[in-house]
Amino acid sequence: MTQIALFNPPKFHPHRPARPMMARDADSMYWMSRYVERAEHIARLLLINSNLLVDVGDLALNIQQREWQSVLGSLRVDSATIPPGDGALGMRVASYLAFDPENPSSLLCCLTRARENARGIRENISLEMWESLNTLYWSISADEARTHFEESPDDFYRQVIAGSMLFQGLTDQTLSHDQGWLFIQLGKFLERVEVTCRIIEHKFNVLPTEDPRQEGALRTIHWMAVLRCCCSIEAYRRHHVGDMDPMRVASFLILERNFPRSVRYGVGKAHDAIAAIRNEVNPLAIDPAERVLGRLDAQLEYAELSEMLVDGIPTYLQKIQTQLAEVAVAMQNSYFQH
Amino acid sequence: MFEQYQVDGLFDEMFAAPGDPRPHYAALAAKLRSLGPAAFGRRVRMADVTLRNQGITFTVYNDERGIEKVWPFDLVPRIVPAQEWAVIERGLIQRITALNLFCRDIYHEERILKQKVIPPELIYGAKMFRREMSHVNVSRDIYIHICGTDLVRDKSGQYFVLEDNGRTPSGVSYVMENRAVMKRVFPNLFGTYRVRAIEDYPYNLLQCLKYVAPRHASDPSIAVLTPGVYNSAYFEHSFLARQMGVELVEGRDLVVDNSFVYMRTTGGLRRVDVIYRRVDDDFLDPLCFRPDSGLGVAGLMNAYRMGNLALVNAVGTGVSDDKAIYPFVPDMIKFYLGQDAILPNVQTYICARDNDRKYVLEHLHEMVVKSTNESGGYGMLIGHQASHAEREEFAAKIQNDPRNFIAQPVVELSQCPSLVDDHFEGRRVDLRPYILYGEKVIVMPGGLTRVALRKGSLVVNSSQGGGSKDTWVLEEDIPSAPPPRPESSILL
Repeated sequence: MTQIALFNPPKFHPHRPARPMMARDADSMYWMSRYVERAEHIARLLLINSNLLVDVGDLALNIQQREWQSVLGSLRVDSATIPPGDGALGMRVASYLAFDPENPSSLLCCLTRARENARGIRENISLEMWESLNTLYWSISADEARTHFEESPDDFYRQVIAGSMLFQGLTDQTLSHDQGWLFIQLGKFLERVEVTCRIIEHKFNVLPTEDPRQEGALRTIHWMAVLRCCCSIEAYRRHHVGDMDPMRVASFLILERNFPRSVRYGVGKAHDAIAAIRNEVNPLAIDPAERVLGRLDAQLEYAELSEMLVDGIPTYLQKIQTQLAEVAVAMQNSYFQH
Repeated sequence: MFEQYQVDGLFDEMFAAPGDPRPHYAALAAKLRSLGPAAFGRRVRMADVTLRNQGITFTVYNDERGIEKVWPFDLVPRIVPAQEWAVIERGLIQRITALNLFCRDIYHEERILKQKVIPPELIYGAKMFRREMSHVNVSRDIYIHICGTDLVRDKSGQYFVLEDNGRTPSGVSYVMENRAVMKRVFPNLFGTYRVRAIEDYPYNLLQCLKYVAPRHASDPSIAVLTPGVYNSAYFEHSFLARQMGVELVEGRDLVVDNSFVYMRTTGGLRRVDVIYRRVDDDFLDPLCFRPDSGLGVAGLMNAYRMGNLALVNAVGTGVSDDKAIYPFVPDMIKFYLGQDAILPNVQTYICARDNDRKYVLEHLHEMVVKSTNESGGYGMLIGHQASHAEREEFAAKIQNDPRNFIAQPVVELSQCPSLVDDHFEGRRVDLRPYILYGEKVIVMPGGLTRVALRKGSLVVNSSQGGGSKDTWVLEEDIPSAPPPRPESSILL
C-alpha cells in the first residue's frame, strides 16, 4: 500500500485573500517610511555640503552663507530660525539640523517620529525592521551621540545613511509585499522625489548668480556635489561619460528612466504602488491620488528638454511639487480617513 | 561574589544557609561563582543593550526623565522545582475555576449571596461590580479568561496568594522577552537545566480567544484593544498582537453599526468578533460607563450584550479581584467546588468590619494597608517603613472610607540573589504566573518573578522601581542528595 492515510486533513484556504489594512496603520506605515527617507536626505546633504566647503577652501563668508542657504532651502528650513551663536556658521547649521529638538526638520525629530510611528504598528512590521530603526534612533538620541557627532561629523552622518539603507533593505526582504509594504514604498518615493526636486531647484537658484570664480573647476565641483546629494555621481558619469553641465545634470536627475534616485523613477514607483493599493481596495475605479500620479508619470515619460526650459528648471520643478502636494491630500482623503 | 551574602533570617530561594545552595540551585551557583564579577557584568551590559535595541520598554507615569524606560532585568534566574510547581499549578487551576463560577453566579442567580457566604453589601459596594452585566450571558460562561495571580513566600517558604488579577493582568510579554534574553546571554545554562518552555503562550492565548468567538464567526476576526502608545503596557499589547498575528486597534479605529463592531480599514469597514481588550471597564464605552472616555467605542457594550462580540476578559470581573472580596476566595472554593484551597491566602483584615478596623488602627505599624481598588503599588502603606505622619494620614483615610481599605500583616517576602555592584545581595521577590481559561485551563510554567531592586524594599512593582527575573520551572526534580555511595560493593 502506497497510499498515505490522511485522516482529518486540515481545512484552510491556501490562497486566502489579503487581509484588509487598518487605516491608522496605513497612515503610520506611510509616515514611518517618509521620515526615515527624510532623515537620510538630511544626513547626506549635511555630509556632502560640509565636504564641499572643505574642497573649495576659504570661500568668502557670503558664498558660504549662500551654500548653507541652499541646503536649508532644500529642507524647507527658514534660516532665521538658526539659533545665533559664536561658532562657525557650518557647525551651527549642522548641529541645528542634526540635534535641535525644537526644529521639526532635524535628524533627531525625523527619526523620533519615524520610531513613534513604527512603535504604533509594531505588529505590522517585522522584528528586523523595528530593531534596525530602534537601534538607529538610539544611536542618535543616546548621550554618546553628541560626542560622536562632535568628534567626527562625517562618521555620524554615514551612520545615519547606512541605518536608513539597512532599514529599507530589511523592509524589502522581511516584510510581505502587500498593502503595508506598498504604503511604505509610496512614502519613501514621494519623499525622495520631493527632496530631489528641491535640491535641484535651490542649486539653480544659487549657482547662476555666482561670481566669475565660479567658472570652470569650481562650477564642476558644485554640480558634482548636487549629484552626490542625490547619490548619483557614478551613474551620471557612466551615462554622460564625465561631461558636467547644469542641464545634463538636471535632466539626468529628473528624467532618467532606470536610476532609482531620479524624479521619474520615483514617480513611476509611487504610481505603481498606489495603483496596486487602489486595485486591492477598489478594483473598479481610479481614485484622485492615482490619477494625479499617473498624469505626472506620463508627463515625465514623454517630457522634452525644450518644455523644461520654457519657464526654467526651477519653475518646472515647482509644478511637480504642487502635483505631489495634491497627491498627498488625495491619499489622506481616500485611505487614511475612513 | 557570594562571600558576603546574607540570608538575614528570610527564606532565600538559592541558599538553605550561607554558602550552602539548595540542590536545584547548585549548578547555577557554581556557574555564577566561576564567572566572576567582570564576566557577569559584561553579560549584564549585553542584556541591557539587547533590551534597549529591541525596544523592550515600559512607561512610568510622573517621571521627569522621559516616559519610556528600558525594562530592568535581573540576570540571576529563579528556579522552581517540578514538585513545587505541580502544587502551585493545581492550586491556580482550582482558584481560577472558582473565580469564574463566582463571577457567573453573582451576575445571575447570586446563590453565594443568598446562602450568606459573602455579605451582599461587599459585592454591591464594590467599585468594580457592574450592574450592567446582571443577567448578561457571556460566551461559554467564561469571565476570567486570563488571570495573573500574585504569589509570595513567607519566612518558612510556604507559598501564599497575595492577590488575583482578573481584569487585565500585564507582564506576560516581559516573561517571554526575559527568557529570550537569557537564552542569548547564558545559552549554556539551559543545557544544564531542563527548563520547561513558555513560548507557546501566545498560541494558547489565541486558541482561548477563538474558543469564545460568537457563533456566527466561523473564521473569527480578532483584535487587541489598546489605549495607545502612551500606555504603560503598550509594549505588551503590541507584543501580543504581533505574536498572535492579530490586529492591534485603538478605540478610534473601531465603530459600532447596527450592534456589530467594525474596524476602519483602507478599504472601508470590517467586522471584529473577538476583542482582547487591555482597556479598563470604565473606559470601554462612553455610552455605558465613563462618558468622558475617548479610549473606548460608543455602542460597544450593546454589541457585547447582543452576543455579537466577545470581550476578553469579560466586563465586571473586577469584582473578583477586589481586595475586600479576596479574603472570601477560600470560601468560594469550598462553596462552588467543595474543596479546600490548595494555595492559602494571606491573613486579611477587612476595614469595613468594625472589629477588624479597630485592630488595624491599633496595629498600623505592623500592617500593610492597601486600597481595595488600586493596583501597581499605588495607594498603599507599609506600616513599619512609613513615618508617623504617613500612618496618621492613612488612619484618617481608613476612618473616612473603611470599605476602600484592607490590611494584612507584613509578609517577609522570600529573597533571591541580585547583582549589586560587584557582588550578590538578596532582594525580595514575588511570582506572578499566568493562567488561561479556554477550552481547558492552561497555566504557563513559570511566570513573572518581580524583584524589589532596593535593599529591604517589599514593593516589587515595575512602576515603583522593581525589576524582573526569568523564572525556570524544571521538567523533573534534581535528586535532593547524591545517591549513597555503594560502599558495600567494595567489600564484594
